[in-house]
Amino acid sequence: MINFYGYCNLLAAVTNLSVAFFLYSRGRGNKLARIWSFFTVCVAIYGFGAYMASGAPTAGRAFFWWQISYAGVIMLPALFAHFVYEFLGIKRSTLVRMAYAVCLALLVTDLASKSLFIGHVSLKFEGSRWFTPAWWVYPPGPLHIFHTLVLYFGLLTFVVTKLIRAYKGSDHDKKIQIKFLLIGMILGFVGGGTSYLPCFNINIYPVLNFTVPVYTLIIAYAVIRHRLMDVEVIIKKTLVFAGLLASTFAILVLPTLVIQEYLFRGATAGGKLVGLAMSGVIIIVTLHRIESFLTTVTDKYLFQKKYDYKELLRTFTTEVLTVLDLDKLLQLTVDKLTDIIKVKSCAVMIFDDQEQMFHIRAAQGVKDEGLTLAKSNNITAFFEETHGYISVRELEDKKISIHEEIEGIIDRLNAELMIPMVLHNKVIGILSLGKKKSDEDYTQDDLGILLPLSRTLAIGISNAELFDELGKTQAEAAQKEKMAVIGTLSAGINHEICNPLGIARGQCEAFLLNVKDGLYDNKSPEELLGKAKEIMAKVIKETDRATAITKKLSGFAKPARGEAELVSIAQEVQDVLGLVSYELRLEKIEISKDIAMDLPPVFVDKKQFQEVLFNLIRNAGQAVGEQGKINIFARQQHGKVVIDIQDTGSGIPDDKIKQLFNPFFTTKEPGKGTGLGLFIVRQVVEKNGGRIYLKETTVGEGTTFTVEFPVSTAQDVKV
Amino acid sequence: MSKLKIVAIDDEPDFIATLKDYFSLRGYDINVALRGATGIELVKDKKPNVVLMDLKMPGIDGDEVLKLIRSMNPSPKVIFITAYDDGGKTRARLLDMGAYAYFDKPVVSLKLLEEAVNKASQS
Repeated sequence: MINFYGYCNLLAAVTNLSVAFFLYSRGRGNKLARIWSFFTVCVAIYGFGAYMASGAPTAGRAFFWWQISYAGVIMLPALFAHFVYEFLGIKRSTLVRMAYAVCLALLVTDLASKSLFIGHVSLKFEGSRWFTPAWWVYPPGPLHIFHTLVLYFGLLTFVVTKLIRAYKGSDHDKKIQIKFLLIGMILGFVGGGTSYLPCFNINIYPVLNFTVPVYTLIIAYAVIRHRLMDVEVIIKKTLVFAGLLASTFAILVLPTLVIQEYLFRGATAGGKLVGLAMSGVIIIVTLHRIESFLTTVTDKYLFQKKYDYKELLRTFTTEVLTVLDLDKLLQLTVDKLTDIIKVKSCAVMIFDDQEQMFHIRAAQGVKDEGLTLAKSNNITAFFEETHGYISVRELEDKKISIHEEIEGIIDRLNAELMIPMVLHNKVIGILSLGKKKSDEDYTQDDLGILLPLSRTLAIGISNAELFDELGKTQAEAAQKEKMAVIGTLSAGINHEICNPLGIARGQCEAFLLNVKDGLYDNKSPEELLGKAKEIMAKVIKETDRATAITKKLSGFAKPARGEAELVSIAQEVQDVLGLVSYELRLEKIEISKDIAMDLPPVFVDKKQFQEVLFNLIRNAGQAVGEQGKINIFARQQHGKVVIDIQDTGSGIPDDKIKQLFNPFFTTKEPGKGTGLGLFIVRQVVEKNGGRIYLKETTVGEGTTFTVEFPVSTAQDVKV
Repeated sequence: MSKLKIVAIDDEPDFIATLKDYFSLRGYDINVALRGATGIELVKDKKPNVVLMDLKMPGIDGDEVLKLIRSMNPSPKVIFITAYDDGGKTRARLLDMGAYAYFDKPVVSLKLLEEAVNKASQS
């Protein structure tokens, strides 16, 4: 009589035996793998015995096979305990040794005795329909009961509590592994345990038997891959396997059953063989399709891979593509793709217009991060012409041989999938993705999301590049603005330079004229030398004075480098005032400053910071006109350095306040200001991590602008 | 001929010293001041023929001094010597207000300045 659960046991035997072989060969040096391979051998013995027993024609045969089957079962608690102890890092446990000793003793007894384990075998569930056929059962002998109570319940409960206790103090990885052990253990021992329920007179059919092969597999997988895999992937694998097993089982059994029942009428060996052969053919033909179908189904319904896609999209639209700093954008792209799709490697290559090359700008897990690809090289030419992707797996499947050079590139990138990033028909970059950590291939669903994503990325990258350009344009505008401002400074600076020059020239000229006009005729050479010395000292003093101001001016006029450094507020206020003070003095504007003594430095671009101060002070100067006052206050407040620039000028009317920071807005007379002043000032302040705002203004009384920068941190200093 | 009387007002002590040296050696009666206010007192006191003056000074500016001098009788000629350059606008304005001449600093030649002083005193 054919038996479903019998076949299930046969399958368990086959899978476990292959797992045992696999673990033993792959897990060399890994003690856990070794123990588990013995465990799976025992399960295989159990499975094979149970299979043979279920199909046994006579009670005697059934007895023999149950005996064999139970021999495998006997060792399991000891092996499991050993495995858990080894896993938890407990060495040379007496408990484990004792368990082995007891189990071995029981093993010998089982094989030798005719009644201590297995009692009189009889058929149960007789007359049931074909999917719950008769099942050979036996009353358990005293040692069977002892083994079940002491080793199965006692030892395993003890081991499980040990595992649970260890779980609490474990790190993330270990917790995952413990979870596995527990899941596997529950599946295996509970499911497998149902085989014995009828023996203990609990007449439930052993339907849960099929979990036994699943159980060993879960743990085998965890043992081999536990450092690489996370729980999701393994559980998924296991579920796929379980589904596969069920389908294989169905395919294996149904035709066999049909053939046997309806064609051959009885359990003849020939019928069995023909049925098995047919099933085998069907399995071979359909297995791969079933596997991919099951993977999709588990992804869709159990692991909601769609949510992963959603997460991918959400992350990219909200977190990644909004980043305007190109380097940050690319790094985030790589990080997030690696994280969400769980790939082993990922790289983004960007085309450099100047060098006409693709460079790796961000990467993870790539062999050669210095890889560059020339514009019409084999791979890039392919992307440029087709705008299509390259999938290593697809190439292998279709047996398309690839050029050695391309193979080399793929190898250096650790690439499995390469997608061009296309914008306006131009390949601006290449996205390279490595194998998934789960070892699964990229599916059409993956490509369905990754291809549009790479196009979107191209837009994001182009935005960031444009923003970078805009930044440069803004820096140029800031520089022009500065030069324009310097131009308007000329009256004050001219005054300051021409005065010393006037003195120097006058002194020299007067001396020469005096000599020429004979006015020094009555002077002794000593007196003349003294006079000349006096004049020269003055000339030196005055030329130094003129040089100092031109130095200040040229220093200020140099373009900013765009590099942040630690900048002292007091020093910069001093320097900027040094430059504007001539003009302010000419206008008779009074300046006062009140800078807190212990003010910490800020981490900004020094030149840009000067520009900001300079513009604000000059604006204030223009607002106050003659006889006004400008006050500069600087203090620390809530982790920020706050600088107020206050003037007693005309104030800003309400209707103009909103437009203050708009480009080209100005209240100055035509020709006096470009209007870019505050607009650029704000760009510059924000670029340096600061904030600028109008603190208060009253028409006729004055205006205060405030600039804030975060206090520099130790991290800034390291940079 | 009696000595030509000059008052020079400039906030640059070295420049004022240069002028004093140059003109006194050549027989002019020159008095100097570093501020607009003291300059006006000097002008009132010495009744010079010519006033040499800077424009931008602390306190009372050249502008105001010019106005005050123009209201005097007799009114000395005012020659501005200044480093303030705004493309000729101020120069035109000062000449309009009755300044006799306008020299940029650095003065091209002291000789020229002397000539201007002489011419001013004769007109």
